[in-house]
Amino acid sequence: MKTPPVAETPAITASGIVKRFGGATAVDGVSISVLPGEIHAVVGENGAGKSTLMRILAGVITPDEGTVTINGTHIDRGAKASLDAGIALVHQELSLVGEMTVAENIVLGTTPTTLGFISKKRVASIAADALAEIGVSVDLKEPISRLSVSLRQFVEIARAVARNPRVLILDEPTATLTPAETDYLLTMLQRLAASGIAIIYISHRIPEVFRICTSVTILRDGKLVETTPVADTTPSAVIDAMVGRDLKLDLQVRRTASPGDVVLAAKGIRAHNVNGVDLEVRARQIVGLGGLVGAGRTELVRAIVGADPRQAGTVTLTVDGVVHPISSYGSAVRAGIGYVPEERRTDGLALSMSVSDNIALPNRHALSRWGILRLGAISTFVTSLADVVGLRPPQILREVGEYSGGNQQKVVIAKWLGREPKLIILDEPTRGVDVGAKAEIHRLVRELADKGAAVLVVSSDLPELLELSDLIHVVRDGRIMGTLTGVDAHEKSVMSLASGEKMVGA
Amino acid sequence: MAEKESLTELIAIAEGGSHNSGLEKKRFNFLAWVSERGIVVFTVVLILFAVIFVNGFASLPNITDVFYRAAPIGIVAVGMTFVVISANYLDLSVVAQVATAAVIFIGVSNNYGLLASFAVALLVALLYGAVNGVAVGYFKANAVIVTLSTTFIGLGLLRWISGGSIFFGPEDGPIRLFGQIKLGPVPLSAFVLLVITIILWWVLTRTNFGFTVRAYGSNKEATRLAGVNTGLVVIGAFVITALSAMVAGFVLAAFSNTAVSAMADGYDFRALAAIIIGGTSVFGGRGSVLRTLLGVIFVSVLTNILVLSGIGFGFQQMAIGALIVAAVSVDALARRAAKK
Repeated sequence: MKTPPVAETPAITASGIVKRFGGATAVDGVSISVLPGEIHAVVGENGAGKSTLMRILAGVITPDEGTVTINGTHIDRGAKASLDAGIALVHQELSLVGEMTVAENIVLGTTPTTLGFISKKRVASIAADALAEIGVSVDLKEPISRLSVSLRQFVEIARAVARNPRVLILDEPTATLTPAETDYLLTMLQRLAASGIAIIYISHRIPEVFRICTSVTILRDGKLVETTPVADTTPSAVIDAMVGRDLKLDLQVRRTASPGDVVLAAKGIRAHNVNGVDLEVRARQIVGLGGLVGAGRTELVRAIVGADPRQAGTVTLTVDGVVHPISSYGSAVRAGIGYVPEERRTDGLALSMSVSDNIALPNRHALSRWGILRLGAISTFVTSLADVVGLRPPQILREVGEYSGGNQQKVVIAKWLGREPKLIILDEPTRGVDVGAKAEIHRLVRELADKGAAVLVVSSDLPELLELSDLIHVVRDGRIMGTLTGVDAHEKSVMSLASGEKMVGA
Repeated sequence: MAEKESLTELIAIAEGGSHNSGLEKKRFNFLAWVSERGIVVFTVVLILFAVIFVNGFASLPNITDVFYRAAPIGIVAVGMTFVVISANYLDLSVVAQVATAAVIFIGVSNNYGLLASFAVALLVALLYGAVNGVAVGYFKANAVIVTLSTTFIGLGLLRWISGGSIFFGPEDGPIRLFGQIKLGPVPLSAFVLLVITIILWWVLTRTNFGFTVRAYGSNKEATRLAGVNTGLVVIGAFVITALSAMVAGFVLAAFSNTAVSAMADGYDFRALAAIIIGGTSVFGGRGSVLRTLLGVIFVSVLTNILVLSGIGFGFQQMAIGALIVAAVSVDALARRAAKK
């Protein structure tokens, strides 16, 4: 018999957790315990084992070794038992049903019934209470598919809160949020913690950790590096512990290359969520598109490359003085446009295929003769590109799905590098990517521009946008609201153009 | 043999296998193993069982009979594997395609000669492939419903034009001759199956087109955004199925020297059985024509065992249905286990 300590019983304790996937050990002997009312950060690079650990805590997967204890009781009977014990996990990938309403999604899995019939009144009241608790107002009857990504994130949290959890786990909740929305979310979490909920908070964004968290647990390569009170450490110490190597992040380097001729010219672009945009990108120039999530930037770039239909407007790509009209996605690719989509897992990669297959796919014509694949050429080609983008480990025959987010993103970029694109469009190139891979991706983007490519970057990560771009167009409601360069481009100027003073829930 | 179908593995072979050494070994997953490799073991065990315990299985006439029956189904199945790998479920209209081809080969060659019958059959096959492919690939219509409908259209047209009659070939005609040639106990049609399997294996694994079929089956949107004309990929998959069905129609007509509109009933489901039992995933992206060949052998031997044991057609149907449920369940479970 083990007697729990009288005071300060942890809400959740995990000890000696080990989880292997095949030969790889994703989590290696990690222990963590979180007190009620505490906000406990878990940080680490992509692939450090954070998400796996969280899924073990939530009972979604079973550990190979170690135990999870909630309020003194062992929990080992799967996700339902953990949910009943009071653990709620807000996934990194949103898990809402697009066709169902906000209210239906919030009660999904715990739908209240009367004699087997769904009680609409109680559904509405539970959903309304949960939304009120997190202070967000959304129409309960709105289908999820009509909400913006950020609002969906809040609904997802409301769904977790509706279950009155003892422990709330959030996996990268701010990845898709704007600074104002993030601000709101962080305040809300502090309020929830004050009511006695233990919160485990996973984030790549170190400033957020220092703003709201009480303790921080740092993971690297599946192992626990340390757990310390936030008050006893500094952001740079945490980053050093995360990456375990010295990072030379010369964040303030400004490119000096002078832009060349106009490569991309888009005129009067109209599409769903895009209301008349003119845009030019020159050779050796990196143009950034800033704005809030849902401002229409993704829709704009998709309309430019022809990935989605345009309602109006013309796009041309000028290569060596020859003007190529871009009328369809096929013509965009043939003319020399590379497009790195926002959602790499659904739009960027065939996850069940190898790194080699994925990189070879857009280059298949160059890698085949008379329609027959040249296997030797593919191997050489892919190996050299894997080296260029810094794929780690450089095992090109491995399934892409087995790699971490940062590596996957490198593969998506490598797909286009081999074609030496005249214009490359990157939509959120480093979302969910660790610090090291992020620096490497930035280096790749700069190198492309230095070699003469025109680059168009969409990013909700303000420091990234400011750091990469020579020129920033700020988009709101599908229009370019302003263009910033040089000293005029800073966080405040971008945000004031982007937000138009609108806030979440207002 | 069946393990070496992916492009990447072929590169490993081309590179002397050196790339494989650094790969992490995945933990053994029994379901994944059954779903991907099980067919080899099952087929060997089933044949051994049949040879040892089933009276009359290991006789030359019986083996010839198994080959005769396996060949047309097998030819349809290896072709249809392309549609399954492209994540478009299956092509139900092979029922109409095989029967139409058989009627054309016998009916048209009776009046206008063999060459003319080939030309007509080829045109019809291309038409089937194009109609199914355009509806599914360009209009994004559901493959099951489209091909169910083209089955109706095709069989209706065939019955209308042929008047529902049975066509007989001349006893000394070239089709009859083809059907009678054997090398030892192995009929020519079995060699046709083997040759088509090898050609389609090569097309799927070594050509640009086959590569895009596998990529499309793995992730449609990512393949489109890689600059692939995905409509053409789907049309190609349906055209390959239709061409295979045409050859199967010829082999089937040659077997009996007769043709009638109902002669290929059940081919859709039996071909699907061979493909799925062979281990090609109905989720698309994963699979191989070599596995389908093993699946054909397995299903044919099993059917033969049941026939030899005096078990009726009803039970045979039941057995194959149950096997498919088991195979797709294993496929789905293995896929889920792999995701964890």
